[in-house]
Amino acid sequence: MTVHNLYIFDRNGTCLHYSEWNRKKQAGISKEEEFKLMYGMLFSIRSFVSKMSPLDMKDGFVAYQTSRYKLHYYETPTGMKIIMNTDLGVPSCRDVLHQIYSTLYVEYIVRNPLCVLGEPLQSELFTSRLDSFVRALPFFSVRAA
Amino acid sequence: MADEALFQFLHNEVIQYVYKSAENGEMENGRCVSKLEHLGFRVGQGLIERFTKDTSRFKDELDVMKFICKDYWTSVFKKQIDNLRTNHQGIYVLQDNKFRLLTQLSSGKQYLEHAPKYLAFACGLVRGGLSNLGVRSIVTAEVSVMPACDIRIMIKQVN
Repeated sequence: MTVHNLYIFDRNGTCLHYSEWNRKKQAGISKEEEFKLMYGMLFSIRSFVSKMSPLDMKDGFVAYQTSRYKLHYYETPTGMKIIMNTDLGVPSCRDVLHQIYSTLYVEYIVRNPLCVLGEPLQSELFTSRLDSFVRALPFFSVRAA
Repeated sequence: MADEALFQFLHNEVIQYVYKSAENGEMENGRCVSKLEHLGFRVGQGLIERFTKDTSRFKDELDVMKFICKDYWTSVFKKQIDNLRTNHQGIYVLQDNKFRLLTQLSSGKQYLEHAPKYLAFACGLVRGGLSNLGVRSIVTAEVSVMPACDIRIMIKQVN
């Protein structure tokens, strides 16, 4: 049970933060292209999911799963998108991602007057708190299962 | 007291405003800090009247300092000063290990050069409070490792 990596995007598609803990294989393209690909994919999936939904939609796109990993998605009302890749043993992560937003992003970035909103995050305090938060999660272990 | 986030956001915007208008008028950095300190001075004068309206007179200077460290700081920043040092000759150093306006900035050395801007208003608060209690002083602040900060008060002795 482990967390592989984490992306944070703002509502314009700028990748504000990326960190990884346990990534064995790289994407093979540069980081900017990877972020653009991730954002574009999410945008398309979200509209696809809402169009094709046979019932009234509640939360929309929440997660996708492959045979090796699971991607969890959380979007805030202000358009911040938090994406976490974990392995398959992890149940729904929505409240964890919500906690990352409310106790870390809002606390250390929004309330920090020296952080310009809309630019990649520079605050070391945020990075270190995020790292210790993820490492303290019950489903995080350094070696992948 | 209203939620502290409201005051923090307003305070941050005041600082940005003072610095932006300084850029257009080409003032130096020192003028901005003293502008913010004067703002704090006036606010401190009013606040201290409000907080002491029901307390008795202070016995001496040390008593005034203890009031500032405990009640005044608690009312404004919701915590007490962690350490008060003095040389009994008019110099007092107040240490706050977790200054509320700096906790979100960083914990360590990042953004250190911006820290004085956020302390100017608080220094003014202290100076204004002391002035209305009858104590004339000069208040400065030092930050070496955030979010801890030292506020140094030099009392002007009346001969």
